[in-house]
Amino acid sequence: MNTEVANLLFNGSFLAILGASIAALAGIGSALGVGIAGQAASGVVAEDPKKFGQALILQALPGTQGIYGLLIAFIIMQKIGLLGGSGLMALTIPQGAYILAASIPIGLVGIFSGYAQGKAAAAGIMLVSKRPEEIAKGMVYTAMVETYAVLALLISFLMVNGVQL
Amino acid sequence: MKQLTAIGHSSVRAELMEQLMTLGVVEISDQEAKLGESEWKALVKTDRNDGSVGRYDNWINRTTQALEALEKYGTEKKPLFKTRAPITLAAFEDSLKERHQIEKNTEILTVYSNKLAELQATQNKLEASRMGLIPWKEYDLPLELKETKEVDIILGGIPSAANPDLLKQEVLAATEECTFELVNGDSEQYYIAILCTKAVRQEIDEILKGYGFNRAQFGDLSGSASKNITMIDEKLAVIEGERAKVIEGIQGMEGERQNFELLHDYLVLKRDRAMIRERLLITKQTFYLDGWFPAAATAKVEALLTEKECYYTIREPEKGEETPVLLLNGSMTGPFEAITRLYSLPDSRGIDATPFFAIFYAIFFGMMLSDAAYGVILTVSTFLILKKFKLEGMAGRLMKMFFYCGISTTIWGILFGGYFGDLITVVAATFFNADVVIPALWFAPMEDPMKLLMFSFILGGIHIFLGMALDGYLSIKDGRPMDAVFDIGLWYILLIGLVLLLAGVSPDIGKWMSIVGAVGILVTGGRHNKGIGRITGGLSSLYGITGYLSDVLSYSRLLALGLATGVIASVVNTMGSLAGGGITGVILMIIAFSIGHSYNIAINALGSFVHSCRLQYVEFFGKFYKSGGEAFEPFREKTKYVEILREDH
Repeated sequence: MNTEVANLLFNGSFLAILGASIAALAGIGSALGVGIAGQAASGVVAEDPKKFGQALILQALPGTQGIYGLLIAFIIMQKIGLLGGSGLMALTIPQGAYILAASIPIGLVGIFSGYAQGKAAAAGIMLVSKRPEEIAKGMVYTAMVETYAVLALLISFLMVNGVQL
Repeated sequence: MKQLTAIGHSSVRAELMEQLMTLGVVEISDQEAKLGESEWKALVKTDRNDGSVGRYDNWINRTTQALEALEKYGTEKKPLFKTRAPITLAAFEDSLKERHQIEKNTEILTVYSNKLAELQATQNKLEASRMGLIPWKEYDLPLELKETKEVDIILGGIPSAANPDLLKQEVLAATEECTFELVNGDSEQYYIAILCTKAVRQEIDEILKGYGFNRAQFGDLSGSASKNITMIDEKLAVIEGERAKVIEGIQGMEGERQNFELLHDYLVLKRDRAMIRERLLITKQTFYLDGWFPAAATAKVEALLTEKECYYTIREPEKGEETPVLLLNGSMTGPFEAITRLYSLPDSRGIDATPFFAIFYAIFFGMMLSDAAYGVILTVSTFLILKKFKLEGMAGRLMKMFFYCGISTTIWGILFGGYFGDLITVVAATFFNADVVIPALWFAPMEDPMKLLMFSFILGGIHIFLGMALDGYLSIKDGRPMDAVFDIGLWYILLIGLVLLLAGVSPDIGKWMSIVGAVGILVTGGRHNKGIGRITGGLSSLYGITGYLSDVLSYSRLLALGLATGVIASVVNTMGSLAGGGITGVILMIIAFSIGHSYNIAINALGSFVHSCRLQYVEFFGKFYKSGGEAFEPFREKTKYVEILREDH
């Protein structure tokens, strides 16, 4: 009985959906990052409300990891037929496992890079509070972190794209 | 840049300075250093006039304050961008005939502003004391009553961390000659009133001390707390009324805004003309100045100095001499100066990178945003803004740059077949049951990502090679041609060889090129070192190959961010189509479309901007760019609100 239930549930399609979920977890990193940056931004704006726009730009930068996670999750969902009319495909366990494995780079890197980028963005906001004209430098420092999220996105994408269903 | 030294007669000084300001092409240098030299010091002194500068500054401050008050409380709609209004010299001078009246009006506004500040201060004070009284609202004895003949009244609070019930028990257990009332409690304190006979006062004080008791301070307030609160509320209402009257007064002055702006600019011109005098050296009869101007302005500067009968010399900068930096670019690449300036101006002996990366910037931006519809939106909106507002400086440059980037985005969008992502396909399928696909002019990145990845790397390779070529050019210009051969040429051979070898185009040539390049770098890399350093230097130079690898890989973001735009757009479209056809479907689609695509265009335009910058700053500038130049700051009319037009210009 138990094995029957297990077989019903833990099949290839389930693993693929689990993969999509893991990819979407990259949003954790963005949430943390945007949160950290937002705290710094509020502090700066309390002193000088005119800096709202600049601080907002920097705060938005760690938000991209969540988007990358969403992107991979979306591609997986589309690939396995969860979106669109065709309905969920029946995947073999290896197929599901491949997709699950492919989702890990963006899921994991997204979490940590989003957090780290949030800290860099917060420091950039501090920079803007003292020298608003140097915002571009703060943005570039923050974007340096994002490189690794971009690389993870790329790897996840190429892997998901490469899995034959 | 050319260096100018001029000496003239004192009688023409004021006139000359005024015309130099109008001309606005000469940066007059600071003479602090010369005054330190004894030979100069014996001859000249500075023409500084702090008194009049200070007077003008005072007036400027007052005018600025008046304008700020109008800005803050005025009812006029503020324009999206601040631009300088053009005005003819005659009109400018004409409006300022009534200068004294305008000055008087600024004083009225100063009075209003001060009054507002004063009201604010009183209000803050009243509100603070109101805050202190609120917890005691329920306590109805007069606050000034501290004791009677037999009884002491103790008012105060204990921290909210303490337990007031325990305190009460302890107090009541100790003595019966008292009452204990918990008046109020908030997140910070519990407010307590104790009435006790004088005999037990000391005992109670001891217990209270253990609870961190703080006596309440009411200053010289009299009457009950609630009566005081009512009084404060009345006063606050009066202040509010007065404030409204003052603001009304300020709003009544709004018609004067333009005059204030003219006055501000007039004063700034006067102040700057007074201030520049500290950069002139004078004797009894003559004055001396030196400075820099762009070579293109030579004729005008010479004509002016000749007209004023000054003695002058003009020379080219010496080799290695630092000069102020002015970026000169045409109308196509000029807007991209914004990116160079955001990084840092180039060293005066270096090179302005703008014309070299401008086209790459536009291409990278377009590839990352890569949606024809977004591109059109960007192009049209920036075009309209540029048409409506005469933007100057950084804002103008950025706006024009985004205009070009929008065109590039449109082109890439058409090449990749993105029009609001796959909106047309989705709409056709959801509402019309049709199968419409706008084919990509080149290819759809989602279908063949590897192709785009390779293309990104090739583009990146070209970009990096250009950066290296510029480094080589600088070496040659600097008289070190061998550096260009060893540090750039050998790398070219090695890198091109590796590409040929790995791509399998012509493995044989590739192999030999790689070997020649690698050995060459190994041998020459440590040529500036001594002894063992010659060998390790070569090795560490060759190790630099990892840098080139990661540089090229960095361009994969062109693919990744391009995909992000497309996929998010299709997520939005899919969400919009979830309700199917019919009215609800249309409504959902419109909502999803307007919110989703606005969000997508905003976040991805920001991403494209930042990452295009990064590719220039890190991968491209890293190869050759030397920053740290001082900006060219000519003596000119630095007006803020108006641009003075002259017929003869």
